[in-house]
Amino acid sequence: MSSLGKIADSVDAYNAHVAAEVARARTDQKFAAELRERWAKIHETVDWTVSPTGTPLPRLALPPTDDPGAIAEYLLGQGVPGEFPYANAAYREMYLDRESGSGGGPATTGEEPMRLFAGLGLAEDTNARFHYLGKHQKSLRLSTAFDGPTLYGLDSDHEGVLGKVGEGGVAIDTVEDMVRLFAGFDLTRKDASVSMTMNAPAPIILAMFIAAAQRRFGHDCVPNLRGTIQADMLKEVQAQNEVIFPIDASLRFLCDMIEWCVPHMPRWYPVSISGYHIAEAGATPVQQAAFTLSNGFTYVELLRARGADVNHIGPRLSFFLDCGLDVEYLVLGRVCRRLWAIGMRDVFGANAKAQVLKLHSQTSGRSLVAAEFQNNLTRTAVELMLAYLNYTNSCHSNSADEPFTTPTAKYATLASHGQSIIMEESGVFKHMMNMFGGAPGLLILEKQVEKSILEVFREMDTLGGVLAAQEQRYQRSKIQEAGHNYEKQIYSGARPIIGLNKYKSDEPMPSVPLARTSPKKQRLQVERLQAFKKKHAKQAPDALHRLENVARGKGNVFAELVNTVEVCSLGQITACLTNVVGKFRPMV
Amino acid sequence: MAAAKKPLSSAPLRILTAVPICDGHDSAVSTINLELARHGLEVIYLGYHCPVSTIVRAAIQEDVHVVGLSSYNGGHIVFFKEVVDRLRALGAGDIPVFGGGGGTITKADERVMQRQGTDRIFHAGTPLNDIMALIQREYGRVLKPNAKLRGDRALARAITLAEQGSGHRGSRATAKRRGSGFVVGVAGPGGAGKSTLIDELTSRFLRKSPAGRIAILANDPSHPDTGGAILGDRVSMIYAQDDRVFFRSLATRGGLTGISAATPAAIEILKHSGEFDLILVESVGIGQESDPFGLFSKKRRLVDAMLFVLAPHYGGRLQLQKIGLLNGADLVVLNKCDHTMAHTARAEITARLEANGKGQRLFGTVAAKHHDPGVNTLYDALAQLGSLEVSP
Ligand code: B12
Ligand SMILES: Nc1nc2c(ncn2[C@@H]2O[C@H](COP(=O)(O)OP(=O)(O)OP(=O)(O)O)[C@@H](O)[C@H]2O)c(=O)[nH]1
Ligand SMILES: [Mg+2]
Repeated sequence: MSSLGKIADSVDAYNAHVAAEVARARTDQKFAAELRERWAKIHETVDWTVSPTGTPLPRLALPPTDDPGAIAEYLLGQGVPGEFPYANAAYREMYLDRESGSGGGPATTGEEPMRLFAGLGLAEDTNARFHYLGKHQKSLRLSTAFDGPTLYGLDSDHEGVLGKVGEGGVAIDTVEDMVRLFAGFDLTRKDASVSMTMNAPAPIILAMFIAAAQRRFGHDCVPNLRGTIQADMLKEVQAQNEVIFPIDASLRFLCDMIEWCVPHMPRWYPVSISGYHIAEAGATPVQQAAFTLSNGFTYVELLRARGADVNHIGPRLSFFLDCGLDVEYLVLGRVCRRLWAIGMRDVFGANAKAQVLKLHSQTSGRSLVAAEFQNNLTRTAVELMLAYLNYTNSCHSNSADEPFTTPTAKYATLASHGQSIIMEESGVFKHMMNMFGGAPGLLILEKQVEKSILEVFREMDTLGGVLAAQEQRYQRSKIQEAGHNYEKQIYSGARPIIGLNKYKSDEPMPSVPLARTSPKKQRLQVERLQAFKKKHAKQAPDALHRLENVARGKGNVFAELVNTVEVCSLGQITACLTNVVGKFRPMV
Repeated sequence: MAAAKKPLSSAPLRILTAVPICDGHDSAVSTINLELARHGLEVIYLGYHCPVSTIVRAAIQEDVHVVGLSSYNGGHIVFFKEVVDRLRALGAGDIPVFGGGGGTITKADERVMQRQGTDRIFHAGTPLNDIMALIQREYGRVLKPNAKLRGDRALARAITLAEQGSGHRGSRATAKRRGSGFVVGVAGPGGAGKSTLIDELTSRFLRKSPAGRIAILANDPSHPDTGGAILGDRVSMIYAQDDRVFFRSLATRGGLTGISAATPAAIEILKHSGEFDLILVESVGIGQESDPFGLFSKKRRLVDAMLFVLAPHYGGRLQLQKIGLLNGADLVVLNKCDHTMAHTARAEITARLEANGKGQRLFGTVAAKHHDPGVNTLYDALAQLGSLEVSP
């Protein structure tokens, strides 16, 4: 049996345990008394607050019950927010207003969840966008989208890519671009957090980020850098298709980077295990959850096989899920947190810190359509609500112009304000934690979704586990089939999309302003790159040679990359590594 | 809507689909591919992150009716133009190019692109059935003999005509040097690694034979009900995307022999051209009884040598006994030697071949591995059989 089978079994066993404890609570007087006592203690920790219109409210909503069975069901089945099995939330207070607390209880994380993915043109253009977005936000949250050539590890002067330079994200070729990208931001600030949507070349790009930060904040700044790099290669093979090196080599480079980050960058998440791309490629919510969690468990196994301690790596893993309009999204984050915690604890022996699934969410891009595109504002607002109901730790909201272009400033601002309206203007999430957990509909959905996820785990288990299933195209074919179904549902009318297949008006498609990169800028990027290459023409060959040696041997490639990026471009490094390990054979 | 309307030409409409370089958005094109195959078209799918040169080479060698590009990561105005320009430059300007990219390709873009030679754009919100109907209506022209075609285009058209059942031969091509035209059939169960191995052998050929050309004929099954097919061997090639390789995907079109009925003629055309030193023919995944290359028939023998590829999970000794082709194969390959069952498999196959008493050699390979030494050994044996160059 692969570990997926064991994980599925452990969840069943845990559920049976909960049921047994609930029954015992109803028959065993002593246990019932213990539970009541615990319940009373929990109530004591709950502070009160007052809404702006004067209604007193507890800062934590607990089920209004004294029945020991119901208490056991809640405590073991869902857990108080911040407690095993974490269905309700990763932390006790999440988004609650700090100010309104009356002291005593556990602090909120004080974390601002909004992170807006941005990237366009050259480094200075994205930098300007970062500064602009920063004005609409409390803390420093820089989330970077890269352009196609960068995502594929190619230099901007690579044959045939000029037209794509700076499109869909920012063009980064060298450490100098990286310096420009974050100019003017203090990346060592306590409330700063930088995320980078970067995968196959993630080790190279993170090395550039480190080198750029060192240039600005000194050699010792590295432990203070905080943020996330996506680097989830399994979902690349399954859904996003940015794979450069063969799978084994891709996973080695990733594990090298994670192992380096664990001791050197205590505030950095070196991988973001992503379901977003799986769902956007067409997967159902259940498939998204099943593939993402199983990929996560696979990383744990891979790292353990290389000698890592699950309690060291567990807390450094983060997750990223899509949040669309399908009903399952009401509970997807909740179910994932619970399954992850049980699997990590009962199969991998992880401690409390290593059991917590920390979640970033993004509203669904695919749910946003070109026809009558201003409706996208509403769609995104609903999805945001669902994401927050799942107590996501951070969140990106898509812009209404999503179907057409990298967001222009106007729609990016509206997307940002959408989050602020929900979180800051409305009272829904400010005063009381866990308003909805335990609602009958949610409980039913959670159970059904969990059951379906376990079925997928068991199916993959019979195929030999995640990697074996992947080799047989299992995840890819499931995703494609679901994506095909989704489109068929739209065009048969079975899935109503307002303005597209229902309640259509005859308005012609509006012309929406586009964020595109001019050929002049594209050429400028190439000139900069070539100047960099010229400047380092003498040192580059030696640096690449050293990298090649490490890659051929068993050393940590990431540790060497931190040096290589000082004098080599992204494309030079990719070519060097390809030379050693070969190319990925595409899977379609 | 007239969904499954018959195309104008009686042979299935062949379309090449691909996603441009630095773009991995394949969800739309995957759906389109499935729909096209469901409507009886033959789809040669090139995958994502495809450079212009790969697309144009494939369009020519596969002699498609039309090229469909799905572009999302921007730069489409430049990219589509480059495809059209290169097709024109190589004498294939008659192959139309269309595409889609949801909302990222605007109406205004489309107008510019049309001026630059792109046929049309399928915008966001176009119903799938409308797309299918339009493609079948507009692009199903009959591909005819054309004496003006040159080089790979001429070869490709000759094969197309063979597929249509008309007996036209390709004109003797303008090969600068005469290839020896050694034909090797590659057969084996579905998923054993035939295509991967062929690509790896191709990389050895290209390295060791610095001037020669190699041809690959890849047979894949047509759907028994719709007649459509997604011809997926070409996309997994990483080394065979090279001008020294002529690659043609063939759908079986109802033949149940493991190869297309046009394969014998296609082999003839390739040999006749004098262009190629080595011609590799991949059969569809086959079972215990088939004989795609006519090894056991004196009259029908199509190949000079046959390479049989197995993966470790063939079942067991009993199943192994039943694979008739193991008696006729010149080279037997146990691929996926990285699997745990490989050890046992190796012993069982060795015993099986010894029982044949024909001195057949077994090669163990890991085709999926970069620079696998097992594949090197296999290539050397193959080169020796076919008297190919083996310069370092
Ligand atoms: C799904 C999606 C993804 C998925 C892709 C999964 C996959 N494997 O395909 C994921 C999440 C992985 C992804 C990633 C990225 N994405 Co994206 N993605 C989308 C999204 C939401 C939908 C596209 C889609 O597949 N639609 C479904 C199809 C079936 O419908 P359609 O697009 O309307 O197409 C119709 C027609 O045009 C036609 N059609 C389309 N192609 C073809 C081809 C042929 C031959 C024919 C006949 C017809 C046809 O068929 C459809 C039916 O009518 C769009 C935004 C949007 N809402 O459109 C962004 C979008 C395309 N992505 C974008 C970007 C920037 C990216 C990233 C570069 C982000 C980054 N920096 O990391 C990455 C790059 C990934 C990569 N490897 O290249 C941008 C592009 C911006 C631009 N060009 O200016 C968009 C527009 C979002 C945005 N506003 O920022 N993305
Ligand atoms: N582990 C492993 N996988 C391999 C090896 N060779 C090929 N594969 C994988 O096996 C799968 C099938 O390979 P293909 O080369 O497409 O097999 P095929 O025989 O051409 O398949 P069909 O044409 O569909 O019959 C792919 O996922 C390959 O990556 C190998 O040596 N080891
Ligand atoms: Mg094959």
